[in-house]
Amino acid sequence: MYDRAVPFQYYVRQIAIMPVAWPDKEDNELLILVQDGSHPAFAALVERHTERYYRLAFRYLQNREAAEDVVQDAFLKLWEDPGKWRPDKNTKFTTWFYRVVVNLCLDWQKRKRPLELKEDMPLIDERETADQAMLRREEQRILEQEIAALPERQRTALNLCFDEGVSNQDAADVMKINLKALQSLLMRAKTTLKERMKNYL
Amino acid sequence: MDRNDEQKLASMLRSRHTQAASPDLAARIVRKAQATPQIQGFFLWQALRQMFIELHLPKPGYVLAITLILGMLLGFSTAPQIASNADLSSASAQSFLADDEGLL
Repeated sequence: MYDRAVPFQYYVRQIAIMPVAWPDKEDNELLILVQDGSHPAFAALVERHTERYYRLAFRYLQNREAAEDVVQDAFLKLWEDPGKWRPDKNTKFTTWFYRVVVNLCLDWQKRKRPLELKEDMPLIDERETADQAMLRREEQRILEQEIAALPERQRTALNLCFDEGVSNQDAADVMKINLKALQSLLMRAKTTLKERMKNYL
Repeated sequence: MDRNDEQKLASMLRSRHTQAASPDLAARIVRKAQATPQIQGFFLWQALRQMFIELHLPKPGYVLAITLILGMLLGFSTAPQIASNADLSSASAQSFLADDEGLL
């Protein structure tokens, strides 16, 4: 029974510490447990989200080791100081953490020399002929180069919006801009890419 | 033509190549976290906020409490100086008396 005299946070914490299987818990509940130092809750959070944040980091850095380092850093920062995420600010954990990973990727790029894009990207579709595969590899290589050359905000908009499961509204929230500004960034990025990739379109 | 370009570009952007992460990435992160202590900082502001939430105090209460705390801090930080001056003068008087008694 809900008692008005008891603070709402008390109920949130009580629900979070109820013995429910980890996969059934929401991110917010897991984070409250992480704030109390729970390793299993942190492990559940990492298992659930590592893949998607790695994919985003890879799109920025185009290097497996670098992307893994960034994701590891982001999660360890969260573990060390879980109070940085505040449930009362009405921000979804995934949105907030996208921002953390994007910032780490941008920092990484500023600190290190730009990475050489690999010439030998693996084949994506094994039914393709050798010529088709080569053409496709070349297309991808040029595309990655052109994306890397875009201004930072256009690149971020593109990386977020063409990632599975990130809606335009979520991407706008990550970038702390409104939907129209995001659409404008996307439009400019696509116009630039269409111009630069016209030989491959 | 332009619409086709748009669609082709969108399809290229969606099928961007991503090299798979190491299968043990998540396990590695969890292992590292187990060896890393959490920061247990005590922040006055956070503690105050929590206290106000728990006690259901209205916002003007913040101002009042902060004024009181600042007043106490200022009061305590200046009080020992006055006390130490008094202590010094009494100490020197005692030492003078002690010297005087010694002569007797």
